[in-house]
Amino acid sequence: MNAPESPRSFGRNEPDYPNPLPRPEGEFEALQKAWKAPSGLSFITAVNNTYVGLWYIGTAFLFFILAGILALIMRAQLALPESNLVGHDLYNQLFTMHGTVMMFLFAVPAVEAASVYLLPNMQAARDLPFPRLSAYAFWAYFVGGLVFFGTIFFGLAPNGGWFMYPPLTGSKYSPAENADWWLLGIGFIEISAIAGAIEIIVGVMKTRAVGMSLDKLPIYSWAMLVFAVMIVIGFPAVILATLLLEMERAFGWPFFIAERGGDPLLWQHLFWFFGHPEVYIIFLPATGMVSMIVPTMAQTPLVGYRLIVLALVATGFLSFGLWVHHMFATGLPKMSLSFFSAASTAVAVPSGIQVFAWIATIASGRMKLTTPSLFIIGFLFIFTLGGLTGVMVAMAPFDWQAHDSYFVVAHLHYVLIGGMVFPLFAAFYYWMPVASKYPLSERLGRWVFGLMFLGVNVTFLPMHITGLIGMPRRVYTYPVGMGWDTLNVVSTIGAFMIAAGVAIFIYDLARKFRFASDDNAGNVWNASTLEWLPNGNYNTRSIPEVVSRDPLWDQPNLSKDVEEGRYYLPGTATGGREALVTSPFDARPQYILQVPGPGWQPVLAAVFTAAFFLLLTVKFVLTSVVCGVIAVGCVIWWLWETDPGPVRPPADIGGGIVVPVYVTGPANHSWWAMIVLMVVAGMVFTCLIFSYLFLWLVNPGAWPPQNVRIPEWTWPSLAAFLYCGSAVLIAAASRQLRGEDRRSPISVPILIGVALLFLCGGSAIDLWAQWGTDLSPSAHAYGAAVYAIMSLQIFFVLTTLIMGAYTIARWLARRLDSVRRTTFDNTMLFWYYTVGQGLVALIVVHCFPRLTGGI
Amino acid sequence: MSGRRTGQVLLMVAGLIAWAVQFTIIYAVTSTLCGRGWADAAFLGFEIVPMTIVSATLVTFSATLLAAVWSFRNHRRKGEQPVSGADSFMNHVATLINGLSLVIILWHGISAFILPACA
Repeated sequence: MNAPESPRSFGRNEPDYPNPLPRPEGEFEALQKAWKAPSGLSFITAVNNTYVGLWYIGTAFLFFILAGILALIMRAQLALPESNLVGHDLYNQLFTMHGTVMMFLFAVPAVEAASVYLLPNMQAARDLPFPRLSAYAFWAYFVGGLVFFGTIFFGLAPNGGWFMYPPLTGSKYSPAENADWWLLGIGFIEISAIAGAIEIIVGVMKTRAVGMSLDKLPIYSWAMLVFAVMIVIGFPAVILATLLLEMERAFGWPFFIAERGGDPLLWQHLFWFFGHPEVYIIFLPATGMVSMIVPTMAQTPLVGYRLIVLALVATGFLSFGLWVHHMFATGLPKMSLSFFSAASTAVAVPSGIQVFAWIATIASGRMKLTTPSLFIIGFLFIFTLGGLTGVMVAMAPFDWQAHDSYFVVAHLHYVLIGGMVFPLFAAFYYWMPVASKYPLSERLGRWVFGLMFLGVNVTFLPMHITGLIGMPRRVYTYPVGMGWDTLNVVSTIGAFMIAAGVAIFIYDLARKFRFASDDNAGNVWNASTLEWLPNGNYNTRSIPEVVSRDPLWDQPNLSKDVEEGRYYLPGTATGGREALVTSPFDARPQYILQVPGPGWQPVLAAVFTAAFFLLLTVKFVLTSVVCGVIAVGCVIWWLWETDPGPVRPPADIGGGIVVPVYVTGPANHSWWAMIVLMVVAGMVFTCLIFSYLFLWLVNPGAWPPQNVRIPEWTWPSLAAFLYCGSAVLIAAASRQLRGEDRRSPISVPILIGVALLFLCGGSAIDLWAQWGTDLSPSAHAYGAAVYAIMSLQIFFVLTTLIMGAYTIARWLARRLDSVRRTTFDNTMLFWYYTVGQGLVALIVVHCFPRLTGGI
Repeated sequence: MSGRRTGQVLLMVAGLIAWAVQFTIIYAVTSTLCGRGWADAAFLGFEIVPMTIVSATLVTFSATLLAAVWSFRNHRRKGEQPVSGADSFMNHVATLINGLSLVIILWHGISAFILPACA
């Protein structure tokens, strides 16, 4: 066990607990009331992480089943040569939807969903810091995902493969709306994933048990932190890619059309800059789960905690240097390929470190062969095999032989099923007693594991050979006599074995799962971490102080003491929902976060956001715009109730620690969220600038094309002046809002209003100047790239316009002053970002072509 | 987050940032020169592509070595003065990450000695 540090080291000297017993009458009832979920139809407005997390997990599992059924249809088609069960067009939709749904609607949401449920419990936080954002992310995903999946029943499902390569998916070769469903549907669902990632980053860094410093953070939290940062860095690339391809399809802006200066390889770069990290985005949370389950099953602390943190962080970085290994067959210079080949092999090192740490943990304890243990062993076996074939395809010469063959299909399924599905099933069995009154059946669990483990190997092991003897992926049938017949029959049998295992799991789930908010099955595994504390809708009665990484093992009475309310914040200081915000490194109490409760706003905002994107797909533009406006209105309605200000004086949370109930500036949780959002925005912009430079690279002598003028210096200079001026005005408004005396001078809205005029003016002048040169966005990739950069900037300016107007509205409603200024701070941060982005955009668009002189 | 804490985080991932810088430079230069048909471009008699790879590798390796030594010394110093668990942890993980990064940076630089620039 880890040597516990001295407890209670946060300024208190008393040797006893932070709060004495007995607790005041009514304290617990008030806590229960504050966290009670709504009933009746309003139940869907619940935002508690336990409810939203379970809905999220259930929906992700539903998509797993649906995509699995698509896979079974494909396997049935391929079981025999020259089969006519499924035609080629439907088959194209089947494999596209199978891959898309598994990757975008099951894998990422499933691990994000699990964290919505688990993270607050594991960190003994009352909830995630932005519960309404979680609810919004879930409902957007739920509505959007179901509608997206429904397209297959109308022959409208995307059919260009899950990575949607142009020119196949361009309007010339895919004129129907199938591709649009993918581009708008998936792009929109990625936004939901990013919302979840922001929630997770702030949740891990700011809402933890007291004393849960970084060295005592559960490995799962570390894994989710790296996961979320990877989403923030990686997902903007695919969002931008989908935007560019949709703009090409809708307006003819030729980003990927070679005849007009575009390049289809640009799509591959953008897609795989997201797509390869995506594998690790799925894998790392699964390893986090494994690192939690293995010590419990072995009843010993995790071996190599620090090495595992090293492995998680290193994997997070290195995974962004692998994307071209999906493009080895595109004719890039061998030197360039070698960089990616090197990164592809290097990333095996941190993965190997984790595998050895788990094996060492198993070896140092006494592993109980429970169902979660079996799935972990299955994971180690299958994932390691997938990792080995991964090293094989990381070698460019081998990849050229195996590319687009069933070998790759086998490899990716070994990695993804081994690396994610098996750990997820282990997690289902392991954490079921937290969420349900009864654990799942161990006897049936062994059947589930056996069928799935054998099924996976029977299905995919032969595919290595099928691929090596020449069967290409994505063919809907094949002729007799190619030597593929028997192998395909075996693979099909294996697929149905997996389905049988999953079917037994569902049967067991229906039999045993009964949602429990305060009467769960308890700590049946004798686990050591905080999610196994007695809990309710409020998660833990009091916020514990932890002294090691295995608090339930090292602090034997912790469960009882927490439940009795001996630790911090055993009631509610403000009468509403609260979370204790702690410092990011040492987890010292900082302030009480007033958490928003249930409401229709996030549900309606999500439904109308989904409607906006989905109606746009079928070209109902006006209706779509109306839905978009309503969605923005719902978000404003939602935000209006937040930023409550200091509703009461600082509160004593126990042990003599008094913390404020409201803070502003960098300590505030929404400041952190805004910084993360700016990183997301910065990544979208960076990817766009990369696209601009890439298109320059493939257009020697045509940047700009002949007869295209660049606007005179005067205009971009004036635009830059206005941008800078608006930033200065906002800084002045910020200075006006300083002080402890709750000042709210009228100069603040005036300064914001003038700054808005400056900002919009800068953007308008730049657009007008380009327009005046008769530059067309559809004639050549140069024009398309320039207008894309300007469009993004206009989008940010319009968003800032809404935020600025909203801030003025709060001032008018007396909801903004020098103390209650979080809304202003958020607007200010976003404003500075928009100005910075605008200045860089001006430099790139106006200076780069002049500097390169058209070469 | 205080300046000291920000510095600790940066030191912890310094080696990986250095690798990212090395990777970006060598890939960008190789792609640009090869894409534009300037494979034989030379500077002071050296071909630019291999020279860039070697230079970027040397610079980022040196920076990472510095970070590794610094974090190792911070880690070793823990016995001399009391440090919090988080500090000790950060220093140790920083040493490990920077040590691994040294290997990765060298691994990426090897290609300059094996492959032709734009074949």
